[in-house]
Amino acid sequence: MIALLIMGFGIVALIQIPALVKKQWWRELICFTVLWSAGFILSIMISTGITLPSISMIINKTIVGIFGL
Amino acid sequence: MFLEQGKISNLQLSVLITGFVLGSSVIISPGQGAGHDAWIAVALGLMEGLLIAWIFTALARQFKYKTIIEINSLVYGKILGKCISVLFIWYLFHLGALVLDNYARFFKLEIYPNTPKTVLFLLLMLVCASTVGRGIEVLARCSVILVPFTILLIPVDTLLLIPHIDLNDLMPILDVPSEKLLWASQGAASFPFAETVAFLMVLAFVDKPEKGPAAVSRGLLIAGFFLIMAVARNAAVLGPMAVITNYPSYLMAQVIDIGDILTRFEVVVGITLITMGFIKISVLFYGTVLGLAQVFNLRSYQPIILPVGILMVILALTSAGNTFEMFEFANKGYPIYAVPFQIGIPLITLVVAKLRKLPQTGGDQV
Repeated sequence: MIALLIMGFGIVALIQIPALVKKQWWRELICFTVLWSAGFILSIMISTGITLPSISMIINKTIVGIFGL
Repeated sequence: MFLEQGKISNLQLSVLITGFVLGSSVIISPGQGAGHDAWIAVALGLMEGLLIAWIFTALARQFKYKTIIEINSLVYGKILGKCISVLFIWYLFHLGALVLDNYARFFKLEIYPNTPKTVLFLLLMLVCASTVGRGIEVLARCSVILVPFTILLIPVDTLLLIPHIDLNDLMPILDVPSEKLLWASQGAASFPFAETVAFLMVLAFVDKPEKGPAAVSRGLLIAGFFLIMAVARNAAVLGPMAVITNYPSYLMAQVIDIGDILTRFEVVVGITLITMGFIKISVLFYGTVLGLAQVFNLRSYQPIILPVGILMVILALTSAGNTFEMFEFANKGYPIYAVPFQIGIPLITLVVAKLRKLPQTGGDQV
């Protein structure tokens, strides 16, 4: 699973990064790299069985707690 | 350099809004909290939705050819404007992930029980990413082809179900306590009608912006009419089951049986459901990437489509542990959570813009 993820993310990076470097779109490259890295790290965490907190459930618990629903 | 070169007509905008509103509301029936009076809750929700649409279209009309991101920068200044824009983008991103989760969960439970949810997420996301990459015009044209099928399917379904309809299931009218009805109508307003606030990222590309508000209202009214029809029909066919079932429209289609020939109609419903989901997710996805590109002054949103799509899939994967939690959030937390984004940001921005007498050059160019 992890090998598949690395391959998938690698293909995306191989398609995008050379094109952005060639155009000298540095700002776009930084944005892409930050988002791509976040996606990659979180995907690896999920695939290794780490449970990520559910943002929707945190929001739900907070609202239910405040408004006493 | 403009991030989006495309233009859409007012008719395309109306159809896109109709598809967007029908979106996930054709699988998760709005107003369920009001029991057999759900159709009244949806009607009240439609009225509230029209009021909210009036607010955000007034803002879009005041700042012609500008998205909410550009409007925020003009009204609040660069730093505060961008902070508010990031909050709005978060809402679009989160809503996109929630809709994606609704659809993948529905397909996993009802149609593809043996397919991993991640595969369903990725397939749907790839189609949406491909469309978003081609711009708003392609998305609007897709909606013009796809939405009429769903609109046609609702009355056809209803006609085929006439033998199973029992109007007594809708009686007595206004039986639920008013507090419960109002809460259900707020739920119906926040999901799906007021979610059209996402079109603050699209209204800038309408070729005749002065007719934009009418197009938005038209789209909302058409979607509202068919949604009320669907919700009332579900209650009249399924009776008390309509309240406890997760996907009443789909379950109801399973009931159709015309002389043992016309059966398994739910597959047709399933196809139309996925097309509406595609439209809704694509609009939200488009708003997210365009918004991010505008906040960070990018020359194109193309490079960030895939990473944002992956992050949306991750958020969808972690959004709810099970279907019960998903409905819990949809019915309890979401109607309140959505208020600041659906009403707060557009209303406050409109008021501040009026107070500051913006835009200063008549609205066409600032």
